[in-house]
Amino acid sequence: MKLAWKEMTRNKTKFVILGSIIFLVSFLTFMISGLANGLSQDNASLIKDLPDGTFLMSEDAEETVTYSRIDPQIQEKVLSDYPEAVGLSIQMGFLKDNEEKQQSVAFVASTGASYFEEPAQGEVFLDESLAEDQSVGEELLHEQSDMNFTAAGFVKQTTYSHSPVAFISLEDYEKMFRAEEMQLLFVPGEETVQAAGLQSFSKANFLDLIPSYSAEQLSLNMIVWFLVVISGLLFAIFFYMMNVQKIKLYGILKGIGVKTSTLFRMMWMQMMAIALVSLALSALLSQGFTMIAPANLPFSLPVETTLLLSVVFLAVGFVGATLSGIQIKKVEPLQAIQQGEV
Amino acid sequence: MQIKDIRKSFRSGETVEEVLKGVDITLHEGEVTALVGTSGSGKSTLLTIAAGLQSSSDGSVLFEGKDLTLMNQEEIRQIRASAFGFVFQSAHLVPFLTVEEQLSLMLDVAHSALSKKERKAATAQMIEQVGLTHRKNAYPASLSGGEKQRVAIARALVHQPKILFADEPTAALDSKRSHDIMKQIQTLTKQMGIAVLLVTHDEEMLQYADRVVEMRDGVVV
Ligand SMILES: Nc1ncnc2c1ncn2[C@@H]1O[C@H](COP(=O)(O)OP(=O)(O)OP(=O)(O)O)[C@@H](O)[C@H]1O
Ligand SMILES: [Mg+2]
Repeated sequence: MKLAWKEMTRNKTKFVILGSIIFLVSFLTFMISGLANGLSQDNASLIKDLPDGTFLMSEDAEETVTYSRIDPQIQEKVLSDYPEAVGLSIQMGFLKDNEEKQQSVAFVASTGASYFEEPAQGEVFLDESLAEDQSVGEELLHEQSDMNFTAAGFVKQTTYSHSPVAFISLEDYEKMFRAEEMQLLFVPGEETVQAAGLQSFSKANFLDLIPSYSAEQLSLNMIVWFLVVISGLLFAIFFYMMNVQKIKLYGILKGIGVKTSTLFRMMWMQMMAIALVSLALSALLSQGFTMIAPANLPFSLPVETTLLLSVVFLAVGFVGATLSGIQIKKVEPLQAIQQGEV
Repeated sequence: MQIKDIRKSFRSGETVEEVLKGVDITLHEGEVTALVGTSGSGKSTLLTIAAGLQSSSDGSVLFEGKDLTLMNQEEIRQIRASAFGFVFQSAHLVPFLTVEEQLSLMLDVAHSALSKKERKAATAQMIEQVGLTHRKNAYPASLSGGEKQRVAIARALVHQPKILFADEPTAALDSKRSHDIMKQIQTLTKQMGIAVLLVTHDEEMLQYADRVVEMRDGVVV
Protein backbone atom coordinates (compact mmCIF):
# COMPACT_ATOMS: atom_id res chain seq x y z
CA MET A 1 0.00 0.00 0.00
CA LYS A 2 1.96 2.87 -1.36
CA LEU A 3 -0.58 5.54 -0.45
CA ALA A 4 -0.42 4.79 3.25
CA TRP A 5 3.35 4.72 3.26
CA LYS A 6 3.72 7.86 1.13
CA GLU A 7 1.46 9.82 3.41
CA MET A 8 3.43 8.76 6.46
CA THR A 9 6.79 9.68 4.99
CA ARG A 10 5.47 13.03 3.76
CA ASN A 11 3.90 13.85 7.14
CA LYS A 12 6.56 12.43 9.44
CA THR A 13 5.99 14.83 12.31
CA LYS A 14 2.34 13.96 12.68
CA PHE A 15 2.93 10.25 12.70
CA VAL A 16 6.04 10.43 14.87
CA ILE A 17 4.03 12.34 17.47
CA LEU A 18 1.32 9.70 17.52
CA GLY A 19 3.97 6.99 17.62
CA SER A 20 5.73 8.58 20.58
CA ILE A 21 2.50 8.92 22.51
CA ILE A 22 1.64 5.28 21.90
CA PHE A 23 5.19 4.37 22.83
CA LEU A 24 4.99 6.26 26.12
CA VAL A 25 1.59 4.87 27.05
CA SER A 26 2.52 1.30 26.20
CA PHE A 27 5.87 1.60 27.95
CA LEU A 28 4.12 2.89 31.06
CA THR A 29 1.66 0.02 30.81
CA PHE A 30 4.42 -2.56 30.52
CA MET A 31 6.28 -1.07 33.47
CA ILE A 32 3.21 -0.96 35.70
CA SER A 33 2.27 -4.46 34.70
CA GLY A 34 5.83 -5.50 35.58
CA LEU A 35 5.43 -3.82 38.96
CA ALA A 36 2.06 -5.45 39.61
CA ASN A 37 3.46 -8.81 38.81
CA GLY A 38 6.64 -8.12 40.76
CA LEU A 39 4.67 -7.02 43.79
CA SER A 40 2.50 -10.11 43.71
CA GLN A 41 5.66 -12.19 43.47
CA ASP A 42 7.09 -10.21 46.37
CA ASN A 43 3.90 -10.57 48.35
CA ALA A 44 3.20 -14.24 48.08
CA SER A 45 5.73 -16.18 46.07
CA LEU A 46 5.40 -19.00 48.62
CA ILE A 47 1.94 -19.61 47.15
CA LYS A 48 2.40 -18.23 43.64
CA ASP A 49 5.27 -20.54 42.80
CA LEU A 50 3.27 -23.65 43.71
CA PRO A 51 1.69 -25.60 40.89
CA ASP A 52 -2.06 -25.18 40.31
CA GLY A 53 -4.06 -27.02 42.89
CA THR A 54 -6.64 -26.85 45.64
CA PHE A 55 -6.16 -25.25 49.03
CA LEU A 56 -8.34 -26.58 51.82
CA MET A 57 -9.08 -24.87 55.12
CA SER A 58 -11.68 -25.46 57.79
CA GLU A 59 -15.10 -24.06 57.02
CA ASP A 60 -15.44 -22.38 60.41
CA ALA A 61 -12.26 -20.34 59.80
CA GLU A 62 -14.37 -18.05 57.63
CA GLU A 63 -11.65 -17.68 55.02
CA THR A 64 -8.98 -16.57 57.48
CA VAL A 65 -5.92 -18.77 57.32
CA THR A 66 -4.86 -18.11 60.93
CA TYR A 67 -8.21 -19.37 62.28
CA SER A 68 -8.17 -22.56 60.29
CA ARG A 69 -7.73 -25.89 62.11
CA ILE A 70 -7.83 -29.05 60.09
CA ASP A 71 -9.22 -32.12 61.78
CA PRO A 72 -6.32 -34.65 61.97
CA GLN A 73 -8.55 -37.52 60.79
CA ILE A 74 -9.65 -35.67 57.71
CA GLN A 75 -6.08 -34.61 57.09
CA GLU A 76 -5.02 -38.23 57.33
CA LYS A 77 -7.63 -39.20 54.77
CA VAL A 78 -6.78 -36.45 52.27
CA LEU A 79 -3.06 -37.12 52.55
CA SER A 80 -3.55 -40.83 51.93
CA ASP A 81 -6.04 -40.24 49.07
CA TYR A 82 -3.67 -37.83 47.38
CA PRO A 83 -0.05 -38.84 47.82
CA GLU A 84 1.12 -35.50 46.44
CA ALA A 85 -0.86 -33.49 49.00
CA VAL A 86 0.78 -31.70 51.92
CA GLY A 87 -0.39 -30.16 55.19
CA LEU A 88 0.78 -26.62 55.71
CA SER A 89 0.80 -24.03 58.49
CA ILE A 90 1.75 -20.39 58.33
CA GLN A 91 2.19 -17.98 61.26
CA MET A 92 3.59 -14.48 61.26
CA GLY A 93 6.25 -13.83 63.90
CA PHE A 94 9.69 -12.45 64.66
CA LEU A 95 13.21 -13.80 64.85
CA LYS A 96 15.93 -11.95 66.74
CA ASP A 97 19.58 -12.30 65.78
CA ASN A 98 22.54 -11.98 68.17
CA GLU A 99 22.77 -8.29 67.40
CA GLU A 100 19.31 -8.01 68.95
CA LYS A 101 17.82 -7.14 65.58
CA GLN A 102 14.18 -8.15 65.13
CA GLN A 103 13.18 -9.57 61.79
CA SER A 104 9.56 -10.09 60.84
CA VAL A 105 9.07 -13.44 59.15
CA ALA A 106 6.34 -15.88 58.13
CA PHE A 107 6.97 -19.23 59.84
CA VAL A 108 6.03 -22.09 57.57
CA ALA A 109 5.91 -25.78 58.49
CA SER A 110 4.69 -28.63 56.32
CA THR A 111 4.09 -32.35 56.41
CA GLY A 112 6.05 -33.10 53.28
CA ALA A 113 9.13 -31.86 51.55
CA SER A 114 7.74 -32.01 48.01
CA TYR A 115 7.13 -28.27 47.71
CA PHE A 116 8.67 -26.77 50.83
CA GLU A 117 11.93 -26.94 52.69
CA GLU A 118 11.79 -29.30 55.64
CA PRO A 119 14.53 -28.49 58.09
CA ALA A 120 15.57 -30.69 61.00
CA GLN A 121 14.43 -29.70 64.49
CA GLY A 122 16.15 -26.56 65.70
CA GLU A 123 17.06 -25.48 62.23
CA VAL A 124 15.55 -22.84 59.95
CA PHE A 125 15.71 -22.13 56.22
CA LEU A 126 15.31 -18.45 55.41
CA ASP A 127 14.25 -16.47 52.40
CA GLU A 128 17.24 -15.14 50.48
CA SER A 129 16.31 -11.53 51.29
CA LEU A 130 17.58 -12.21 54.86
CA ALA A 131 20.97 -13.30 53.59
CA GLU A 132 22.13 -9.68 53.79
CA ASP A 133 22.03 -9.64 57.59
CA GLN A 134 22.15 -13.32 58.50
CA SER A 135 24.56 -16.03 57.54
CA VAL A 136 24.46 -19.81 57.65
CA GLY A 137 25.15 -21.16 61.11
CA GLU A 138 23.95 -18.04 62.90
CA GLU A 139 21.76 -18.44 65.98
CA LEU A 140 18.29 -16.89 65.91
CA LEU A 141 15.89 -16.50 68.80
CA HIS A 142 12.10 -16.71 68.83
CA GLU A 143 11.38 -14.67 71.95
CA GLN A 144 7.75 -15.59 72.61
CA SER A 145 8.57 -19.30 72.87
CA ASP A 146 12.19 -18.80 73.92
CA MET A 147 13.32 -21.25 71.23
CA ASN A 148 16.62 -21.06 69.42
CA PHE A 149 17.16 -21.82 65.73
CA THR A 150 20.25 -22.24 63.62
CA ALA A 151 20.14 -20.78 60.13
CA ALA A 152 20.66 -23.87 57.99
CA GLY A 153 20.46 -22.17 54.60
CA PHE A 154 18.64 -19.78 52.32
CA VAL A 155 15.92 -20.40 49.75
CA LYS A 156 15.21 -18.54 46.53
CA GLN A 157 12.58 -15.79 46.78
CA THR A 158 9.90 -17.21 49.07
CA THR A 159 7.59 -14.71 50.72
CA TYR A 160 4.16 -14.59 52.28
CA SER A 161 2.20 -11.41 52.91
CA HIS A 162 5.32 -9.40 52.01
CA SER A 163 7.36 -11.14 54.75
CA PRO A 164 10.30 -13.42 54.14
CA VAL A 165 9.47 -17.03 54.87
CA ALA A 166 11.25 -19.02 57.60
CA PHE A 167 10.81 -22.76 57.11
CA ILE A 168 10.86 -24.69 60.40
CA SER A 169 10.17 -28.28 61.29
CA LEU A 170 6.69 -29.47 62.16
CA GLU A 171 7.78 -30.38 65.71
CA ASP A 172 9.19 -26.93 66.36
CA TYR A 173 6.07 -25.34 64.90
CA GLU A 174 3.81 -27.33 67.24
CA LYS A 175 5.88 -26.30 70.24
CA MET A 176 6.13 -22.65 69.22
CA PHE A 177 2.48 -22.07 68.55
CA ARG A 178 1.03 -24.86 70.70
CA ALA A 179 -0.95 -26.05 67.72
CA GLU A 180 -1.38 -29.72 67.00
CA GLU A 181 -3.46 -29.16 63.89
CA MET A 182 -2.37 -27.90 60.46
CA GLN A 183 -4.06 -24.82 59.00
CA LEU A 184 -4.10 -25.84 55.37
CA LEU A 185 -3.98 -28.75 52.99
CA PHE A 186 -2.62 -28.27 49.50
CA VAL A 187 -3.53 -30.80 46.81
CA PRO A 188 -1.80 -30.22 43.50
CA GLY A 189 -3.74 -30.93 40.30
CA GLU A 190 -6.21 -29.38 37.91
CA GLU A 191 -9.42 -30.59 39.48
CA THR A 192 -10.94 -29.15 42.62
CA VAL A 193 -10.70 -31.42 45.67
CA GLN A 194 -13.49 -31.45 48.25
CA ALA A 195 -13.38 -32.79 51.80
CA ALA A 196 -15.85 -32.90 54.68
CA GLY A 197 -15.88 -29.76 56.81
CA LEU A 198 -13.28 -28.11 54.62
CA GLN A 199 -13.62 -25.25 52.21
CA SER A 200 -11.81 -25.49 48.86
CA PHE A 201 -9.98 -22.67 47.13
CA SER A 202 -8.22 -22.52 43.80
CA LYS A 203 -4.74 -21.05 43.88
CA ALA A 204 -5.98 -17.72 42.51
CA ASN A 205 -8.79 -17.57 45.05
CA PHE A 206 -6.49 -18.47 47.86
CA LEU A 207 -4.07 -15.69 46.86
CA ASP A 208 -6.93 -13.23 47.18
CA LEU A 209 -7.36 -14.28 50.83
CA ILE A 210 -3.90 -13.00 51.66
CA PRO A 211 -4.29 -9.56 53.21
CA SER A 212 -3.06 -6.78 50.85
CA TYR A 213 -2.71 -9.15 47.90
CA SER A 214 -6.01 -8.49 46.17
CA ALA A 215 -5.99 -4.80 47.03
CA GLU A 216 -2.56 -4.33 45.45
CA GLN A 217 -3.34 -6.37 42.39
CA LEU A 218 -6.71 -4.80 41.85
CA SER A 219 -5.44 -1.24 41.81
CA LEU A 220 -2.39 -2.00 39.68
CA ASN A 221 -4.34 -4.04 37.19
CA MET A 222 -6.89 -1.30 37.00
CA ILE A 223 -4.17 1.15 36.05
CA VAL A 224 -2.92 -1.27 33.41
CA TRP A 225 -6.32 -1.70 31.76
CA PHE A 226 -7.03 1.97 32.11
CA LEU A 227 -3.87 2.72 30.14
CA VAL A 228 -4.83 0.19 27.50
CA VAL A 229 -8.21 1.86 27.09
CA ILE A 230 -6.58 5.29 26.97
CA SER A 231 -4.28 4.20 24.19
CA GLY A 232 -7.30 2.93 22.25
CA LEU A 233 -8.95 6.30 22.74
CA LEU A 234 -5.76 8.03 21.63
CA PHE A 235 -5.80 6.07 18.41
CA ALA A 236 -9.46 6.87 17.93
CA ILE A 237 -9.05 10.58 18.60
CA PHE A 238 -5.89 10.92 16.57
CA PHE A 239 -7.26 9.16 13.53
CA TYR A 240 -10.51 11.03 13.93
CA MET A 241 -8.69 14.34 13.74
CA MET A 242 -6.57 13.17 10.85
CA ASN A 243 -9.64 11.92 9.03
CA VAL A 244 -11.45 15.18 9.57
CA GLN A 245 -8.51 17.03 8.02
CA LYS A 246 -8.55 14.59 5.15
CA ILE A 247 -12.28 14.56 4.39
CA LYS A 248 -11.64 16.57 1.27
CA LEU A 249 -8.83 14.32 0.13
CA TYR A 250 -11.03 11.28 0.69
CA GLY A 251 -13.75 12.94 -1.37
CA ILE A 252 -11.36 13.54 -4.24
CA LEU A 253 -9.95 10.05 -4.09
CA LYS A 254 -13.46 8.64 -4.08
CA GLY A 255 -14.32 10.99 -6.95
CA ILE A 256 -11.62 9.57 -9.18
CA GLY A 257 -12.82 6.09 -8.27
CA VAL A 258 -10.82 4.92 -5.22
CA LYS A 259 -12.77 2.35 -3.22
CA THR A 260 -13.86 3.12 0.32
CA SER A 261 -12.28 -0.15 1.42
CA THR A 262 -8.96 1.03 0.02
CA LEU A 263 -9.18 4.14 2.17
CA PHE A 264 -9.92 2.01 5.23
CA ARG A 265 -7.01 -0.26 4.45
CA MET A 266 -4.81 2.80 4.15
CA MET A 267 -5.81 3.90 7.64
CA TRP A 268 -5.37 0.41 9.11
CA MET A 269 -1.93 0.05 7.61
CA GLN A 270 -0.88 3.33 9.14
CA MET A 271 -2.34 2.41 12.50
CA MET A 272 -0.66 -0.99 12.46
CA ALA A 273 2.69 0.42 11.37
CA ILE A 274 2.71 3.03 14.12
CA ALA A 275 1.49 0.63 16.77
CA LEU A 276 3.91 -2.14 15.86
CA VAL A 277 6.94 0.14 15.89
CA SER A 278 5.94 1.83 19.17
CA LEU A 279 5.09 -1.48 20.83
CA ALA A 280 8.28 -3.15 19.68
CA LEU A 281 10.25 -0.27 21.10
CA SER A 282 8.54 -0.24 24.48
CA ALA A 283 8.59 -4.05 24.72
CA LEU A 284 12.31 -4.00 24.04
CA LEU A 285 12.96 -1.26 26.57
CA SER A 286 10.84 -2.83 29.30
CA GLN A 287 12.51 -6.20 28.76
CA GLY A 288 15.84 -4.42 28.94
CA PHE A 289 14.74 -2.89 32.21
CA THR A 290 13.97 -6.36 33.59
CA MET A 291 17.62 -7.16 33.14
CA ILE A 292 19.04 -4.07 34.80
CA ALA A 293 16.36 -3.61 37.49
CA PRO A 294 17.81 -3.56 41.02
CA ALA A 295 17.30 -6.87 42.83
CA ASN A 296 15.19 -5.42 45.63
CA LEU A 297 12.77 -3.70 43.23
CA PRO A 298 9.69 -5.86 42.91
CA PHE A 299 9.56 -6.06 39.12
CA SER A 300 8.76 -9.05 36.98
CA LEU A 301 7.63 -8.84 33.36
CA PRO A 302 7.47 -12.18 31.57
CA VAL A 303 7.70 -12.06 27.78
CA GLU A 304 4.24 -13.66 27.55
CA THR A 305 2.69 -10.77 29.48
CA THR A 306 4.37 -8.30 27.13
CA LEU A 307 3.06 -10.18 24.11
CA LEU A 308 -0.44 -10.45 25.53
CA LEU A 309 -0.57 -6.74 26.31
CA SER A 310 0.80 -5.90 22.86
CA VAL A 311 -1.94 -7.92 21.19
CA VAL A 312 -4.54 -6.16 23.31
CA PHE A 313 -3.02 -2.79 22.35
CA LEU A 314 -3.20 -3.67 18.67
CA ALA A 315 -6.79 -4.83 18.96
CA VAL A 316 -7.85 -1.74 20.88
CA GLY A 317 -6.00 0.53 18.44
CA PHE A 318 -7.68 -1.21 15.54
CA VAL A 319 -11.11 -0.71 17.03
CA GLY A 320 -10.33 2.93 17.86
CA ALA A 321 -9.08 3.72 14.37
CA THR A 322 -11.97 1.89 12.73
CA LEU A 323 -14.62 3.67 14.80
CA SER A 324 -13.14 7.02 13.91
CA GLY A 325 -12.94 5.90 10.30
CA ILE A 326 -16.68 5.52 9.95
CA GLN A 327 -16.73 9.12 8.70
CA ILE A 328 -14.71 7.99 5.67
CA LYS A 329 -17.69 5.97 4.61
CA LYS A 330 -19.93 9.02 4.71
CA VAL A 331 -17.74 11.27 2.57
CA GLU A 332 -19.44 12.36 -0.63
CA PRO A 333 -17.02 13.05 -3.49
CA LEU A 334 -19.28 15.78 -4.89
CA GLN A 335 -18.75 18.36 -2.13
CA ALA A 336 -15.01 17.83 -2.10
CA ILE A 337 -14.72 18.23 -5.83
CA GLN A 338 -16.74 21.40 -6.07
CA GLN A 339 -14.73 23.14 -3.36
CA GLY A 340 -11.40 24.90 -3.61
CA GLU A 341 -7.87 23.80 -2.84
CA VAL A 342 -7.02 20.89 -0.53
CA MET B 1 -22.79 9.40 -24.11
CA GLN B 2 -26.40 10.43 -24.36
CA ILE B 3 -27.94 12.62 -21.70
CA LYS B 4 -31.70 12.32 -22.01
CA ASP B 5 -34.40 14.42 -20.43
CA ILE B 6 -32.45 14.87 -17.19
CA ARG B 7 -34.36 16.53 -14.40
CA LYS B 8 -33.13 17.46 -10.98
CA SER B 9 -34.85 19.14 -8.10
CA PHE B 10 -33.47 20.09 -4.72
CA ARG B 11 -35.68 20.25 -1.72
CA SER B 12 -34.93 22.77 0.99
CA GLY B 13 -37.55 22.53 3.68
CA GLU B 14 -40.96 23.09 2.15
CA THR B 15 -39.84 24.45 -1.22
CA VAL B 16 -38.79 22.21 -4.06
CA GLU B 17 -36.61 23.88 -6.62
CA GLU B 18 -36.31 22.33 -10.05
CA VAL B 19 -32.79 23.08 -11.26
CA LEU B 20 -32.78 20.93 -14.39
CA LYS B 21 -36.00 20.74 -16.31
CA GLY B 22 -35.34 18.09 -18.92
CA VAL B 23 -31.95 18.44 -20.57
CA ASP B 24 -30.79 16.47 -23.63
CA ILE B 25 -27.18 16.52 -24.77
CA THR B 26 -25.17 13.99 -26.74
CA LEU B 27 -21.39 13.80 -26.42
CA HIS B 28 -19.30 12.47 -29.30
CA GLU B 29 -15.89 10.85 -29.43
CA GLY B 30 -13.09 13.33 -30.01
CA GLU B 31 -15.46 16.28 -29.71
CA VAL B 32 -15.43 19.11 -27.21
CA THR B 33 -18.93 20.11 -26.15
CA ALA B 34 -18.95 23.41 -24.31
CA LEU B 35 -21.74 24.13 -21.87
CA VAL B 36 -22.33 27.82 -21.22
CA GLY B 37 -24.98 29.82 -19.45
CA THR B 38 -25.59 32.20 -16.61
CA SER B 39 -24.56 31.38 -13.11
CA GLY B 40 -27.07 29.09 -11.44
CA SER B 41 -28.45 27.80 -14.73
CA GLY B 42 -27.58 24.25 -13.71
CA LYS B 43 -24.39 23.54 -15.68
CA SER B 44 -22.41 22.01 -12.83
CA THR B 45 -25.39 20.03 -11.68
CA LEU B 46 -25.81 18.56 -15.14
CA LEU B 47 -22.09 17.76 -15.44
CA THR B 48 -21.91 15.98 -12.10
CA ILE B 49 -25.03 13.95 -12.87
CA ALA B 50 -23.59 12.91 -16.22
CA ALA B 51 -20.35 11.98 -14.44
CA GLY B 52 -22.13 9.82 -11.90
CA LEU B 53 -21.20 12.08 -8.98
CA GLN B 54 -24.80 12.69 -8.01
CA SER B 55 -28.13 11.21 -8.90
CA SER B 56 -30.81 12.77 -11.06
CA SER B 57 -34.47 13.02 -10.19
CA ASP B 58 -35.51 11.76 -13.58
CA GLY B 59 -34.13 10.98 -17.02
CA SER B 60 -31.29 8.80 -18.16
CA VAL B 61 -27.58 8.94 -18.88
CA LEU B 62 -26.66 6.35 -21.48
CA PHE B 63 -23.05 5.30 -21.62
CA GLU B 64 -21.97 2.43 -23.86
CA GLY B 65 -25.55 1.25 -24.00
CA LYS B 66 -26.11 1.24 -20.24
CA ASP B 67 -28.05 3.66 -18.12
CA LEU B 68 -25.90 5.22 -15.41
CA THR B 69 -28.96 6.33 -13.47
CA LEU B 70 -29.96 2.71 -12.92
CA MET B 71 -26.57 1.51 -11.64
CA ASN B 72 -25.56 1.01 -8.04
CA GLN B 73 -22.74 2.94 -6.36
CA GLU B 74 -20.12 0.31 -7.02
CA GLU B 75 -20.91 0.01 -10.73
CA ILE B 76 -20.78 3.78 -11.08
CA ARG B 77 -17.49 3.89 -9.20
CA GLN B 78 -15.98 1.37 -11.59
CA ILE B 79 -17.06 3.41 -14.58
CA ARG B 80 -15.76 6.63 -13.04
CA ALA B 81 -12.44 4.96 -12.33
CA SER B 82 -11.92 3.37 -15.71
CA ALA B 83 -13.81 5.44 -18.27
CA PHE B 84 -14.09 8.98 -16.91
CA GLY B 85 -11.58 11.73 -16.31
CA PHE B 86 -12.16 14.85 -14.23
CA VAL B 87 -10.75 18.36 -14.25
CA PHE B 88 -12.23 21.01 -12.03
CA GLN B 89 -11.59 24.58 -11.12
CA SER B 90 -8.95 23.49 -8.65
CA ALA B 91 -6.59 20.66 -9.41
CA HIS B 92 -7.43 18.49 -6.39
CA LEU B 93 -4.08 16.76 -6.36
CA VAL B 94 -3.09 14.39 -3.56
CA PRO B 95 -0.73 16.50 -1.43
CA PHE B 96 1.66 13.71 -0.51
CA LEU B 97 2.22 12.30 -3.99
CA THR B 98 4.65 13.53 -6.63
CA VAL B 99 3.46 14.43 -10.12
CA GLU B 100 4.49 11.01 -11.35
CA GLU B 101 2.77 9.25 -8.45
CA GLN B 102 -0.50 11.14 -9.02
CA LEU B 103 -0.65 9.53 -12.44
CA SER B 104 0.36 6.05 -11.37
CA LEU B 105 -2.28 6.19 -8.63
CA MET B 106 -4.86 6.92 -11.33
CA LEU B 107 -3.65 3.92 -13.31
CA ASP B 108 -3.96 1.75 -10.20
CA VAL B 109 -7.46 3.00 -9.53
CA ALA B 110 -8.49 2.45 -13.14
CA HIS B 111 -7.24 -1.15 -12.93
CA SER B 112 -5.22 -0.49 -16.01
CA ALA B 113 -4.27 -3.66 -17.82
CA LEU B 114 -0.83 -2.24 -18.51
CA SER B 115 2.30 -3.92 -17.21
CA LYS B 116 4.55 -2.09 -14.79
CA LYS B 117 6.83 -1.01 -17.56
CA GLU B 118 4.01 0.12 -19.80
CA ARG B 119 2.57 2.11 -16.93
CA LYS B 120 5.83 3.90 -16.42
CA ALA B 121 5.99 4.67 -20.11
CA ALA B 122 2.37 5.86 -20.22
CA THR B 123 2.92 8.05 -17.17
CA ALA B 124 6.13 9.52 -18.56
CA GLN B 125 4.52 10.18 -21.92
CA MET B 126 1.52 11.89 -20.39
CA ILE B 127 3.74 14.10 -18.24
CA GLU B 128 5.78 14.92 -21.31
CA GLN B 129 2.64 15.93 -23.18
CA VAL B 130 1.66 18.45 -20.57
CA GLY B 131 5.27 19.67 -20.53
CA LEU B 132 6.12 18.80 -16.94
CA THR B 133 8.85 16.22 -17.36
CA HIS B 134 11.28 18.42 -15.45
CA ARG B 135 8.81 18.59 -12.54
CA LYS B 136 7.82 14.95 -12.41
CA ASN B 137 9.22 14.43 -8.91
CA ALA B 138 7.74 17.61 -7.49
CA TYR B 139 4.98 17.66 -4.88
CA PRO B 140 1.83 19.74 -5.48
CA ALA B 141 2.81 22.32 -2.85
CA SER B 142 5.76 23.41 -4.99
CA LEU B 143 3.81 23.72 -8.25
CA SER B 144 2.23 26.87 -9.66
CA GLY B 145 -1.51 27.02 -10.29
CA GLY B 146 -1.06 26.42 -14.02
CA GLU B 147 1.31 23.53 -13.43
CA LYS B 148 -1.12 21.93 -11.00
CA GLN B 149 -3.91 22.20 -13.51
CA ARG B 150 -1.69 20.56 -16.12
CA VAL B 151 -1.02 17.70 -13.71
CA ALA B 152 -4.76 17.41 -13.17
CA ILE B 153 -5.26 17.11 -16.93
CA ALA B 154 -2.53 14.52 -17.20
CA ARG B 155 -4.09 12.56 -14.36
CA ALA B 156 -7.53 12.81 -15.93
CA LEU B 157 -6.26 11.39 -19.22
CA VAL B 158 -3.49 8.95 -18.32
CA HIS B 159 -5.85 5.98 -18.06
CA GLN B 160 -7.31 6.80 -21.49
CA PRO B 161 -10.87 7.49 -20.41
CA LYS B 162 -13.79 7.71 -22.83
CA ILE B 163 -15.08 11.01 -21.48
CA LEU B 164 -13.41 14.01 -19.87
CA PHE B 165 -15.57 16.13 -17.59
CA ALA B 166 -14.16 19.61 -17.16
CA ASP B 167 -15.97 22.13 -14.95
CA GLU B 168 -14.40 25.56 -15.37
CA PRO B 169 -10.86 24.19 -15.59
CA THR B 170 -9.41 27.60 -16.42
CA ALA B 171 -11.39 29.77 -14.02
CA ALA B 172 -8.49 30.13 -11.62
CA LEU B 173 -5.88 30.88 -14.27
CA ASP B 174 -4.85 33.99 -16.16
CA SER B 175 -5.65 34.37 -19.84
CA LYS B 176 -2.36 33.06 -21.22
CA ARG B 177 -2.39 29.98 -19.02
CA SER B 178 -6.06 29.39 -19.78
CA HIS B 179 -5.26 29.20 -23.46
CA ASP B 180 -2.38 26.79 -22.75
CA ILE B 181 -4.61 24.51 -20.75
CA MET B 182 -7.43 24.55 -23.27
CA LYS B 183 -5.06 23.89 -26.14
CA GLN B 184 -3.75 20.91 -24.28
CA ILE B 185 -7.20 19.58 -23.53
CA GLN B 186 -8.18 20.04 -27.16
CA THR B 187 -5.16 18.37 -28.73
CA LEU B 188 -4.94 15.49 -26.27
CA THR B 189 -8.61 14.57 -26.42
CA LYS B 190 -8.64 14.80 -30.23
CA GLN B 191 -5.59 12.56 -30.35
CA MET B 192 -7.10 10.03 -27.99
CA GLY B 193 -10.66 10.23 -29.31
CA ILE B 194 -12.06 11.35 -25.97
CA ALA B 195 -15.42 13.11 -25.65
CA VAL B 196 -15.24 16.29 -23.57
CA LEU B 197 -17.97 18.02 -21.63
CA LEU B 198 -16.59 21.46 -20.82
CA VAL B 199 -18.33 23.99 -18.60
CA THR B 200 -16.92 27.47 -18.99
CA HIS B 201 -17.74 31.10 -18.37
CA ASP B 202 -14.96 32.37 -20.57
CA GLU B 203 -16.11 33.27 -24.08
CA GLU B 204 -12.52 33.10 -25.29
CA MET B 205 -12.38 29.43 -24.51
CA LEU B 206 -15.25 28.65 -26.84
CA GLN B 207 -12.84 28.65 -29.79
CA TYR B 208 -11.61 25.28 -28.54
CA ALA B 209 -15.08 23.78 -28.59
CA ASP B 210 -16.63 21.87 -31.46
CA ARG B 211 -20.10 22.54 -30.18
CA VAL B 212 -21.54 25.08 -27.81
CA VAL B 213 -24.66 24.34 -25.80
CA GLU B 214 -26.26 27.15 -23.87
CA MET B 215 -28.37 26.61 -20.80
CA ARG B 216 -30.75 28.95 -19.09
CA ASP B 217 -32.85 28.18 -16.04
CA GLY B 218 -32.41 24.46 -16.33
CA VAL B 219 -33.10 24.04 -20.03
CA VAL B 220 -30.99 24.08 -23.17
CA VAL B 221 -31.72 27.09 -25.36
N1 LIG C 1 -26.86 20.41 -3.33
C1 LIG C 1 -27.69 21.41 -3.66
N2 LIG C 1 -28.74 21.68 -2.88
C2 LIG C 1 -29.60 22.69 -3.19
N3 LIG C 1 -29.48 23.46 -4.28
C3 LIG C 1 -28.45 23.22 -5.10
C4 LIG C 1 -27.49 22.18 -4.84
N4 LIG C 1 -26.58 22.18 -5.84
C5 LIG C 1 -26.95 23.18 -6.67
N5 LIG C 1 -28.05 23.79 -6.25
C6 LIG C 1 -28.74 24.90 -6.94
O1 LIG C 1 -28.94 24.55 -8.27
C7 LIG C 1 -28.75 25.68 -9.11
C8 LIG C 1 -27.78 25.35 -10.21
O2 LIG C 1 -26.48 25.16 -9.65
P1 LIG C 1 -25.22 24.84 -10.52
O3 LIG C 1 -24.06 24.72 -9.63
O4 LIG C 1 -25.51 23.69 -11.39
O5 LIG C 1 -25.11 26.14 -11.39
P2 LIG C 1 -24.00 26.53 -12.44
O6 LIG C 1 -24.70 26.72 -13.72
O7 LIG C 1 -22.89 25.58 -12.40
O8 LIG C 1 -23.55 27.93 -11.87
P3 LIG C 1 -22.09 28.56 -11.89
O9 LIG C 1 -21.90 29.06 -13.27
O10 LIG C 1 -22.18 29.68 -10.91
O11 LIG C 1 -21.14 27.51 -11.49
C9 LIG C 1 -28.33 26.82 -8.23
O12 LIG C 1 -29.44 27.66 -8.01
C10 LIG C 1 -27.91 26.14 -6.96
O13 LIG C 1 -28.18 26.97 -5.87
MG1 LIG D 1 -20.84 25.60 -11.76
